[in-house]
Amino acid sequence: MLFKLDSFTLIGIDAIKVSVEVHISRGLPEFIIVGLPGKAVNESRQRVRSAIINSGFDFPVKKIIVNLSPADIKKDGSYYDLPIALSILAASDQIRCGMFNESCFIGELSLDGSINPVKGLISMAEKARGMGRKFFFVPYEIANQASFISGVSIVACKSLVETVKVLTGGEKIEKFICKDKDKNISNRNNHYNFDLKDVKGQLKAKRALEIAVSGRHNIMLIGPPGSGKTMLAQRAVSIMPDLNLEECIEVTKIYSLYEKYVNHLIQERPFRNPHHTISRVGLIGGGINPRPGEISLAHRGLLFLDEFSQFPKNFIEDLRQPLENKTVIITRNNLSYSFPCNFMLIVATNPCYCGYFGDESRKCICSLREVRKFWKKISGPIIDRIDMRVTVARLKESSFIKTECGESSNQIKNRIKKCINMQNERFKGKNVSYNSEIGINIINEWLKNNKNIRDLIYTISRKYNLTARGMVSILKVSRTIADLEESENIKDCHIIEAVHYRVGSNNLDNSICI
Amino acid sequence: MKNTNGKKILYILVEKKVKPARFIEIYRKNYGDINKTLDYFYKYKSLKLEYGTDGEDHIDFNHSNNCYQKVVDFILKNAVGLLDIGENSYPDILRQIYLPPPLLFFRGNKIKKAQFSIAIVGSRKCTAYGREVAGYISRNLSRIGITVVSGLAVGIDSYAHKAALEEKGGSIGVLGCGIDIIYPPENKYLYEEILSNGSIITEFLPKTPPLKNNFPVRNRIISGLCRGVVVIEAGEKSGAIITCEMALQQNREVFAVPGNVFNSMSRGCHRLIKSGAKLVESIDDILEEFSQYSEGILKLCGNSSYNNNRQANDKQSAKLDNNELKVYEFIGYNPKSVEEIVKYSKIEVKEVLRILTSLEIKQLIKEDSFNKYSRLF
Repeated sequence: MLFKLDSFTLIGIDAIKVSVEVHISRGLPEFIIVGLPGKAVNESRQRVRSAIINSGFDFPVKKIIVNLSPADIKKDGSYYDLPIALSILAASDQIRCGMFNESCFIGELSLDGSINPVKGLISMAEKARGMGRKFFFVPYEIANQASFISGVSIVACKSLVETVKVLTGGEKIEKFICKDKDKNISNRNNHYNFDLKDVKGQLKAKRALEIAVSGRHNIMLIGPPGSGKTMLAQRAVSIMPDLNLEECIEVTKIYSLYEKYVNHLIQERPFRNPHHTISRVGLIGGGINPRPGEISLAHRGLLFLDEFSQFPKNFIEDLRQPLENKTVIITRNNLSYSFPCNFMLIVATNPCYCGYFGDESRKCICSLREVRKFWKKISGPIIDRIDMRVTVARLKESSFIKTECGESSNQIKNRIKKCINMQNERFKGKNVSYNSEIGINIINEWLKNNKNIRDLIYTISRKYNLTARGMVSILKVSRTIADLEESENIKDCHIIEAVHYRVGSNNLDNSICI
Repeated sequence: MKNTNGKKILYILVEKKVKPARFIEIYRKNYGDINKTLDYFYKYKSLKLEYGTDGEDHIDFNHSNNCYQKVVDFILKNAVGLLDIGENSYPDILRQIYLPPPLLFFRGNKIKKAQFSIAIVGSRKCTAYGREVAGYISRNLSRIGITVVSGLAVGIDSYAHKAALEEKGGSIGVLGCGIDIIYPPENKYLYEEILSNGSIITEFLPKTPPLKNNFPVRNRIISGLCRGVVVIEAGEKSGAIITCEMALQQNREVFAVPGNVFNSMSRGCHRLIKSGAKLVESIDDILEEFSQYSEGILKLCGNSSYNNNRQANDKQSAKLDNNELKVYEFIGYNPKSVEEIVKYSKIEVKEVLRILTSLEIKQLIKEDSFNKYSRLF
């Protein structure tokens, strides 16, 4: 007797359909799984057998062959316990139901027959919708994760028995369909633990962050220890506009690969702050079964590299391609896995080895040569991709107590939203969504059409020894500043302000060759 | 190239391998008459008179093995000037030292005969304190029209040059290598900056690498060009100390800036002070020593109205708008942070940041430490 039903496997963050085929024939009792099963899949034989018996069904004493097709893709993980168990029950005629053709199944079985969570559920739900299936049977605990995918009903069952009851009509299916999707995503109130108003003083850095987030410019914070670089970076995520549903799903997809117990749609912007001892694979992604790295976990959010100069140079070089392409492609085992990584980069660093270069009260003990050496460690091509460099000074104790709190994150967020809308409007139909992605051709056009800007840029570049790349950065940032003021054209004042975030500190000019 | 005497000297030194010391000896025997000196070499050294006095057309280079020619080609191509010891503009005080260089290669402005200069020398591995002092003294000297001479090395030298260039006195960099070699390479920008308001000189032929031995030789020119040498930070054994020894031999004043007793970089300075160098706290200490030399200089420095005038002019010529003026007025000589400026002026942050950059571009203020600004002069 033959039976077949559909399940999924994951390649990267994308799900592909896997048919679970079961053939029960006469012969010596045997239970074989074929189709390149991994260790976890092979072990599922024991789980399935116990779960079937403990749920009150009979485990057929016959020769059972399970095939996972396509048979040439390696399958790993405990996804197929539930589909295999159901196929065996159906193939041995213990259950009969017409819903199999319009359903898919996923889930790990416990020995007692209850269903445990698996990874990557939301990608599978999306695939199920793409295949036009009506029902997707998922583990109860994490069903909410997939519930925002419209077009397919997510059926959340706690155990094998429950699943069988639903399938055979013993229980009404409506009762088990996950209804979380009725919640309106736009009405949520995102709560971040940090608010930008907690940061006292640092007006320049706050303004710079606002601009950086508005135009999605990568930004570098330079300052002595204790000046608030980390504090500022942590709060940057609280001024980013909320994720829309599509983005939420993208983020949840990535996170569901990492953790089994993601039981809701992730709605906060991710903020990743990896330590500098991280491995290359941990940062970029990879491994034998490639998994997303920190850059993908920061997708649609912030990647914050604290103590930037401590990161190994070659890791930093690895960031170049992902920063440009917004995806990272990893090739392993004859397959290419692509992970999205559209993130904003914030890096923080001390200005020198001792950390106090440019500090007002404590004197730096590094020689100029050491300072240069320190900056040489930071790769030039990456520095080039960082449009803004902002110096952060330490606040004196007295002014720390006196200074009032500034604007709250929500106020700033509203301004940023407007600015981003303006950019979207302007770049409609183009392959660009933020000012930081503007190509050189657009910038040349600005320069051609506006003599004022040309003259000013010329003066500035002479004064500060700017390279061409530096000038392009300044123009991009000044476009964002203009957008924040809802100004149609870039004016002189915008460019001059932008210079402030490029040159950073005059003191550092010698050391960082801009 | 006009300087035929220079070329002749170059020929004598490079092609005929006459030692500079010998040249100077003959030069002095002839009581400083350059023509007689040159004649001496051509007659008694049986040099053929390949040099027509009235132009280079007569020069016959067939005898030379190209080294001379290469140098001449180089200086023609790269606009390098020659300054020979017989020339009027060759600084008198340099001519008086034990072994003045018969020939100098220079780029940038020509050195003026009566230029009053002070050398600022110090360690390459300077501390933040040293950086600050170098800038402070150099800037103030330059402001009253004194040229600051230094060795274009990293550390104190760079800071002294940099600060001097901000003001009208300008700066002279003396190299320990050929004029076409920028050493250390970090100072590329500085090298170019000096060319705009000062000069770079060397006695070494083009393409001479920066050899260890060249630097003491160079130091004698640094001290020789100046009335006094200010040592800012120096280790026990350092080039700065050598410069001071040269300076004493050449009868120049030696000044030293005191430092932290726990810092090894103060050792050299403190030893100098112990053995009689003048302790310097501000440029007044330096100028005091030269009251007999030049009234002109003291006139400049005693006259504080010069500063005020300059600022008034600056403000007018820069055409500050209302807000800019408000911020500029608030930023005094003590550094003010961005936060303080915002609080005082009640102007929005973005506007303040814009104003700060724009004042910086107009050369009115500078960033002192991170996010703290003070007036430039």
